[in-house]
Amino acid sequence: MSQYKIIFTGPVGAGKTTAIESISDVPPVKTDAAASDMTKNRKSSTTVAMDYGIMNLAGGEKIHLYGTPGQERFDFMWDILTTGGIGLILLLDNTRTDPFQDMKFFLDSFQEFIKKTNVAIGVTQMDLSAKPAINDYHIQLQGMGLKPPVFSVDARVKNDVSLLVQSLLYSLDPELEE
Amino acid sequence: MNDKRKSPLKVVLHGMDGRTYKTMVMYLQGPCKGAAIVVEDIDAEVDMIDADSVNAKTLLEQKQAENSVRPIIVLSLKEQKLENVLYVKKPVRTAEMLDALAKAEAMLTARQKSSGNVRADRKLFINTDERKKTSKHQTAMHLDEGNFNAFMGSIPGLDVNDPKQFPNAFYNPKEYFQGYFQSACLIAQTKKQVLHLNSGWKLLIIFPHNHEVWLDADDKQLRSFAGLPINNLSGEGMSLTPASAHVLSAENAPEKFHNLDAFLWKLAVWTSRGRYPVALDIHKPVFLKHWPNFTRLIVTPHALRISALLIAGPRTLPDIAEILKIKPQYVFAFISAAYALGLIKQAKRQADEIIQPPVSKNNERQGLFTRIISKLRGHKT
Repeated sequence: MSQYKIIFTGPVGAGKTTAIESISDVPPVKTDAAASDMTKNRKSSTTVAMDYGIMNLAGGEKIHLYGTPGQERFDFMWDILTTGGIGLILLLDNTRTDPFQDMKFFLDSFQEFIKKTNVAIGVTQMDLSAKPAINDYHIQLQGMGLKPPVFSVDARVKNDVSLLVQSLLYSLDPELEE
Repeated sequence: MNDKRKSPLKVVLHGMDGRTYKTMVMYLQGPCKGAAIVVEDIDAEVDMIDADSVNAKTLLEQKQAENSVRPIIVLSLKEQKLENVLYVKKPVRTAEMLDALAKAEAMLTARQKSSGNVRADRKLFINTDERKKTSKHQTAMHLDEGNFNAFMGSIPGLDVNDPKQFPNAFYNPKEYFQGYFQSACLIAQTKKQVLHLNSGWKLLIIFPHNHEVWLDADDKQLRSFAGLPINNLSGEGMSLTPASAHVLSAENAPEKFHNLDAFLWKLAVWTSRGRYPVALDIHKPVFLKHWPNFTRLIVTPHALRISALLIAGPRTLPDIAEILKIKPQYVFAFISAAYALGLIKQAKRQADEIIQPPVSKNNERQGLFTRIISKLRGHKT
């Protein structure tokens, strides 16, 4: 049976692990470790390999949900993870110093994968930092010639993560039936 | 600077390229010891303009024409003697900059005293704990076809799904509360002032700085009011006043804050009741500027599909319904809401009418994607 996967990426603390947890049918496999580098300023533990969750579909199909480690020093894994992926979910933390720089970094890093598939962007922590606003992200993306979905997301809320993934799938094929 | 001031002066920079902008941000933080911080235009108390930039003259004229309470500081190599404008000679010296900021602050205070409205307005930068604004951050309500009609309502005697009745299936937002609310928002944004919309109905306050609205009513009450046509006579009773007297009500009920876009979106859905806005020609293609922020909006039936289709290229409204095989009322409702937010535009280029983007090819993974969506929506698969 074919294996399908959706990739979750973004900087440290953007909520990748939590987002996978929100829609996974099994408790996700986490590979967290105590943060020892600059990451510890943002959270006590961080993903050092990857996160993994599963969505079970009718007929026994499984969608594998992979979360990339947020730290750039693990970027050698990103190519391996994206091979055969359906699409990319990019989560950005709005409280970080320069979320636009984060966005550009990840869009550049996954450029080839996005060209072949598509991307949907979730902006987290907007209840803590309302700016930049979602419209500001669209302005930045316009300059990059991209028009992906960009939603305000609480990674703990299943409906938010679900809508983001749905928007990714409809971007890939608007004629999908509901 | 005045030692009594607890917070730094909020400055917006104009006419500076990226590098100069960053340098100025650091300069105000460093050598000026945080006497001022750089903020976005809507939050600013002072305009700072690089008078040696290409468009400086236009910028300055524009700022002066706005007649705002904000003092203007210009930075220039040449001495500038302009009325009501503070001048700092380049290269900028810290003492001169601090002096200009102090004068700007004094001007600001004086102008606020002479303008009760604006003084009240400054007090209204409510720094409420963002998290208490539960309505603003709650997740989207996702409506399917089954519960949408009851939610949205309909127009007696009009079948919006009958193509023969399309010519009559429009509505004019200006004839409803939606139109008055949109006008009020525009004024509040332009004046950068917190305003109270007096409608003879419930208390409504617009906070342009935070892009928020506060309404002393629940959704059921709003839906009923949204559908009532407002004739010219009752429309004349609508007015806008500074909201200072009502701010306590808002402070005491943070859960009644809404994001302005989310509020306008649902107001438009309830006003349209399945019709399209009169300003749109349904036989000409429309395009979507960008995806709406669906996690904080009411997700009308097929809204995600319609968005994805329109992002791919312009379409006429009947064309959208035909391609997606959905009832026109769902297209009209979505278009009304997105149009209210300024996300829908009529395609002007002739090419958009002639060269329709191709309908996407049958995706071999279509079945899989549909099953994923069904799973995400909690349907039994």
